[in-house]
Amino acid sequence: MNETTKTQSAAALPPRPRNLFPVWLAAILAVLWLIVRDLEISFETLAYGVADMGEYFSRYGQPDFSNLSRYLELMGVTLATALWGTVFALVVAFFLAPLAVRNLAPHPLTYRMAREMLNFMRAMPDLLLALIFVTALGLGPLPGALALGLHTAGFLGKFFAESLERVDHGVVEAVRATGATNTQVVMYAGWPSILREALGFTLYILDRNVRMASVLGLVGAGGIGLALHDTLRLFDYRQSAALIIVILATILIIDYASAWLRRRLG
Amino acid sequence: MSTISIESVTKRFPNGFEALKGISTDIAAGSFTVILGPSGAGKSTLLRLLNGLETPSDGSVTIDGETLEKATLRKMRSSVAMVFQQFNLVERLSVVTNVLTGRLAHRSWVGSVFYLFRNEDMDIAQETLARVGLTDKAWSRVDKLSGGQQQRVGIARALAQRPKVILADEPVASLDPVASEEIMGLLREICDRDGITVVVNLHQVDLARRFADRIIGMNSGKIVFDGSPKHMTQSVMRTIYQREDIEDDNSLDLALAYA
Repeated sequence: MNETTKTQSAAALPPRPRNLFPVWLAAILAVLWLIVRDLEISFETLAYGVADMGEYFSRYGQPDFSNLSRYLELMGVTLATALWGTVFALVVAFFLAPLAVRNLAPHPLTYRMAREMLNFMRAMPDLLLALIFVTALGLGPLPGALALGLHTAGFLGKFFAESLERVDHGVVEAVRATGATNTQVVMYAGWPSILREALGFTLYILDRNVRMASVLGLVGAGGIGLALHDTLRLFDYRQSAALIIVILATILIIDYASAWLRRRLG
Repeated sequence: MSTISIESVTKRFPNGFEALKGISTDIAAGSFTVILGPSGAGKSTLLRLLNGLETPSDGSVTIDGETLEKATLRKMRSSVAMVFQQFNLVERLSVVTNVLTGRLAHRSWVGSVFYLFRNEDMDIAQETLARVGLTDKAWSRVDKLSGGQQQRVGIARALAQRPKVILADEPVASLDPVASEEIMGLLREICDRDGITVVVNLHQVDLARRFADRIIGMNSGKIVFDGSPKHMTQSVMRTIYQREDIEDDNSLDLALAYA
C-alpha cells in the first residue's frame, strides 16, 4: 500500500522519445521488394538451377596437382605482387594520411586536397588501373603491383586518417605545447597512438591484395590468375581445381599468419 | 621584472561564451602562483592562453618581454612547459621517449622524425627522470604506470624542455590525496630549486593555501581575489565560489566549512 502511494507521488517520466525503427525497417523492405520486382529477379530459376550447378561443380572433383611446382611458383609471383602493392600503398598512405586529418593538416586546403586524392584513388577500380598499367608498361607483375598499390593507398590512407582523427585531442595538444612542429606532432602523438590499428588495417589490405592479385592475372598482370584464366578457357577443370585450391590455401595461411601477428603485437 | 604579464585579456569563444572578461595581472619570475575558482571560471582558458593553446580575442600576453604571437609561438612554447590534468602522455611510447618529446622544439625535424636523439638530450632525460624518481621505470610503457607516476612523467617532460615557466592545469584533479601531495611537493620543489615560475590551476583550497606564494581567485571570467594565502578569509572564499543564480547557497557554506 505504502509503496503504491510512493510510486504515484514520484514525478512522471517525460514522454518516451519516438522510436522510428519500425518505419525505417518497413521502408527498407519495401525498397528491396521493388528492386526484386523491377529487375525481375526470379528465385524460381535459382531453385531449378541448383541441380545444374551441382553437375558443373562436380567437374572440379578431381584436382590435378601434376604441375604443383609451377603453380607454387606462380603463387609466389602473385604474393610478391600483392606484397609490393601493399608496401607501395603503405608508403603513400603514410605521407598522405596525416594531411587528410583536420587537426593535423598544415592548412585547410591541404586537408581538402589530401582527402580528394584519397577518394580518387579509392574510386579507381584496380582492375581498370591494371589494364592501364599493362598497356603502358607491358605484361608482368609490376603493373599489377602499381595498380594494387594505388587503389589500396586510397583505402589505407582513409583508414589511417580516420584513426589519426580519433587520437586523444589532449595528447596532440600536449606534444604541440612543447613547441613541436607539425611533423613532430604527427610522428610523436599521431602514429604511435594508432600503431596497433594501423597494423591491423595493413594486414587486412595485404590479405585483400593477395586475393585481388590472383584475379589481376586475368588482365595480363602475371601470376597465378593468368594460369587460371588459361586453364578455364581450355575447360581443363582438373587443373583449374588444383589452382583454386592453391589460392584458397594461401589465403587461409595468410589469414592465420596475420591473426597471429596481431596477437603478438597487441 | 615580471616573467608573465597579462594585459586586459578577453577571450570570447565562437559560440559567444566570454570565458575571460578583461584580465590584467603580472606574475613574478620564480614565484609559485595558484589560480583558484569554480569550474567554468576561466582558469583553464587563462592558463592555455599563456602557452598559446588559445589566442586572446583582445589584449596581450607577454612572457619575458616577448609578446605571444603566431610568429614567435613555437619558440615561446619551448620555454613555457605545460602539465595536464589527464597527463596527456603518448601511452604506447616508453617513459623515456615521452620525456624526450620535451626536447623536440630544440631539435631539427630530420633526426627527431626518426626518433634519433642526441646524447645531450638523453642526459637531460636521465637527469629529469632521476629528479621525479622514475629512473627504474625509464623503459616501461607509460600505460603500465599508476596515475601519480604518469603525472611525474608529465612533469619530467615539462622539465626536459628546460623551461622558464611551468603551467599546470589541474595537475592533481585525477589523483588520490597521497599522489596529489607528492605532485604538489614536486612542483613546489622545482620552483624553489630551479627558480622556475610555476602557475597551477587548482580547485582544492587546502592545497592552494599550503603550497602557493600567491593565490589568484577567479569567478566568471574575472579576477575576484589576488593575494597571499594568509589573506584568504572565509568571505574571500565566498566571493570566489559564489554562484550567480543562487542567493542563499547552502552547499557553498557547507563546502567552505570543510575547506
